[in-house]
Amino acid sequence: MVCENCKHEIGPEQLYCPKCGAKNAFAEKHRENMKQFAREYASTEKEVSRFRKAVEGLGKKAAILVVLMIAIVICTVITSINYADPDEDAAVRRDTEKHIKAYLQQTEELLQQRDYIGFVSFRYAHELQSFPPEEFERFRQVGYVAEEYYECVTGMEEMILRSDDPDYFDGLDSDIEIFCMYVDGFYEVYDVQLEAEKNEVYQGYIRDMEAELLAMLRTYLDMDEAETEAFLELSEAQKAVKVREVLRHE
Amino acid sequence: MNKVVKIVLNILIVVASLILLVSIVNLASSIKYVNREVEDPAETYAGIFDYLLEKRSYGEVVDDYHFQRRETFDPTTGYENLFLVGEYGHDAFMARVFAEMGDDSRASACRERMRSLRGGMGDYAFAADEIDEMIANAP
Repeated sequence: MVCENCKHEIGPEQLYCPKCGAKNAFAEKHRENMKQFAREYASTEKEVSRFRKAVEGLGKKAAILVVLMIAIVICTVITSINYADPDEDAAVRRDTEKHIKAYLQQTEELLQQRDYIGFVSFRYAHELQSFPPEEFERFRQVGYVAEEYYECVTGMEEMILRSDDPDYFDGLDSDIEIFCMYVDGFYEVYDVQLEAEKNEVYQGYIRDMEAELLAMLRTYLDMDEAETEAFLELSEAQKAVKVREVLRHE
Repeated sequence: MNKVVKIVLNILIVVASLILLVSIVNLASSIKYVNREVEDPAETYAGIFDYLLEKRSYGEVVDDYHFQRRETFDPTTGYENLFLVGEYGHDAFMARVFAEMGDDSRASACRERMRSLRGGMGDYAFAADEIDEMIANAP
């Protein structure tokens, strides 16, 4: 740049011309600008430093918080897995779905052998009683009757083979009451299901179960046919009294 | 504002640390639970079975047999003797029912099975004798 007065070349920061001594207006303005810039720079620097001080450590804390939360989630998930009990019934159901044809055939065979106790046990063991697949729908009526028959037979077995040790608590009285309840339950189900069953072969099984039940009552309660018929007419409580008389030899 | 955020973060970190502490304690308990000594039900039942035979409580034995059969239809390890005695008791019971019905084929099938079961009973053959006696004298 040149001096406005003598046109002598001067630097932008020289306040006076070294030749003529005239004032350099540009240099003066430049100096003012530089001062202003320095002030603004200092203020910005201060602000930045204040902000940096304010947010210092926030990221670290947030990171710690995230790590803690992840650790909590991992601990909770592992704890839940450790305490969770395996669903054994689900495993049985999966097995049944896999072997459905074989189990269907086995169920049918148990009925053909007229092993109704085995039929009920098999259905329970393979979750066919509670979750019968569509293919097992045909056993619905015979299944209902077989369940009641099962309770009557196993109940009577338990009473007949009870301990004769006087020091052994056999719970006979409550067993008798439960047995009488099941006998009534059998007849409640029997008539309805026999009527509902359309398959003659299965109707035969249902009738056979009743015949076995009657034979069991005659055999183990020491009754003839007429007495058995009269016994079945009794109320649940009267039946219990009668059974108690026989089994306790009162 | 930043101060508030810092305070909130500090509180959250303290709370999360406490929760983590509790979670670690729970985790330790759950690991202990997983590695607990599990009683073998068959082993436990062996003692009960012998007690029931000692008391001649074959009703309970047959009841346990039916219960177990509803769990696993075929005899499982540890329950072989229960299945032998239980099935014998059931067959002995049903043999008389079939005889009463006049169904000789089923009655003799029961007796045949009883013979075969008795053969496999070994030390428990006395149970078959006692069951026979109880069934014969019932009611």
